Amino acid sequence: MRSCVRIAPMIGSRPGELPAEDARALAAHLETCAACRALAARFEATDGLVAEALLARANARDFAPFVDQVMARVGHRSPRAAARTDRRSLLDALRERWRIAVPALAAAVVLAAVGTFMYGGEHVVAEPEQRLASLEVELSGEGSIVLQTSDGPVVLLAPDDDTGS
Amino acid sequence: MNFRSRQDVPTAEDDDLALVQRARSGDAEGFRALVVRYQRKVYAVALGIVKDADLAWDVAQDVFVRVHRGLDGFKGESAFGTWLFRIATHVAIDSVRRERVTQRDDVDDVHEGDLEDAGEGILSTSLGNDPRETLLRHELAAKMEAALATLPEKHRTILVLREIEGLSYEELAERLGIHKGTVMSRLFHARKKMQAALRGYAGVPHRTPAPADVERRATEREVEE
Repeated sequence: MRSCVRIAPMIGSRPGELPAEDARALAAHLETCAACRALAARFEATDGLVAEALLARANARDFAPFVDQVMARVGHRSPRAAARTDRRSLLDALRERWRIAVPALAAAVVLAAVGTFMYGGEHVVAEPEQRLASLEVELSGEGSIVLQTSDGPVVLLAPDDDTGS
Repeated sequence: MNFRSRQDVPTAEDDDLALVQRARSGDAEGFRALVVRYQRKVYAVALGIVKDADLAWDVAQDVFVRVHRGLDGFKGESAFGTWLFRIATHVAIDSVRRERVTQRDDVDDVHEGDLEDAGEGILSTSLGNDPRETLLRHELAAKMEAALATLPEKHRTILVLREIEGLSYEELAERLGIHKGTVMSRLFHARKKMQAALRGYAGVPHRTPAPADVERRATEREVEE
């Protein structure tokens, strides 16, 4: 039994893992000790099952979101996620800078409309009385635009500031 | 016709290093490929050590975040996989130890009482001789996770590293910072405990120890403590 205590931890070793002297002692002991042979057989019977079980569990799990989550944490985004975020970024940027963006956008729309109205060809030219009497762009308050038309002033309002600032 | 010599065939490690280089230079797809290549195995190692599937997921993510942070420091002296799983082992063990309440660790020494067959011999008989061996092994594998979860952290860890990573005694000693002799005895205890935990599956009732055994084990415990 005393030699079993010394030999037992060597059971389950792989070829080449033990010093030659220990490997010889293990082999000699197993030839004479039925209990240790049985122990070695039991260890061998279940060898590899832990890996088999854990890898099977890993393979059964849906890993689709894993890599995107990692990439997001390290600062990289998938092309699809990046496109989604970029679209959001544009809207966010407009929202944050609406005091500048809204008047600029409105002015561009007005200029394009006037240009089309005045020079856009016969099928889009309106009757003279329907034309814009004058164009006076006035920045009113922090973001509104007032257009002076023949029908009176038209106020283009900036969106509400939902940021609370 | 062109034949490539055996030396020209890229190995998985060559691929890893190429991907590491790409990731280092800021190529996100290079790093993404490394994650995809190793994610399940890292998760399996983490699951074996931390026991909880959701915690293992978080641990596996932390591992890749740390790997990404440390890419510039990876010298290539060991294989990328070795480096990766070294980080995985430490992150998983740290995670368990953070959550673990103080409990008495089992000793690694092997005593005579540890050598007794507590009835789990039926496992080798069934697995070795039954014509449905493959099926039985498959079914038994399904029970392994539950059995593994009954082991103390240090026994789970050493079994997982031995089996999933296939580490040798020397590699286990280096990874865990313990002596090779301790590796061997710890592995022995881990295997014995797995056998005992699987005993229920094999339909073997727990053996009631004889009074003499109880007395002897109590004496041994006093000696260990």
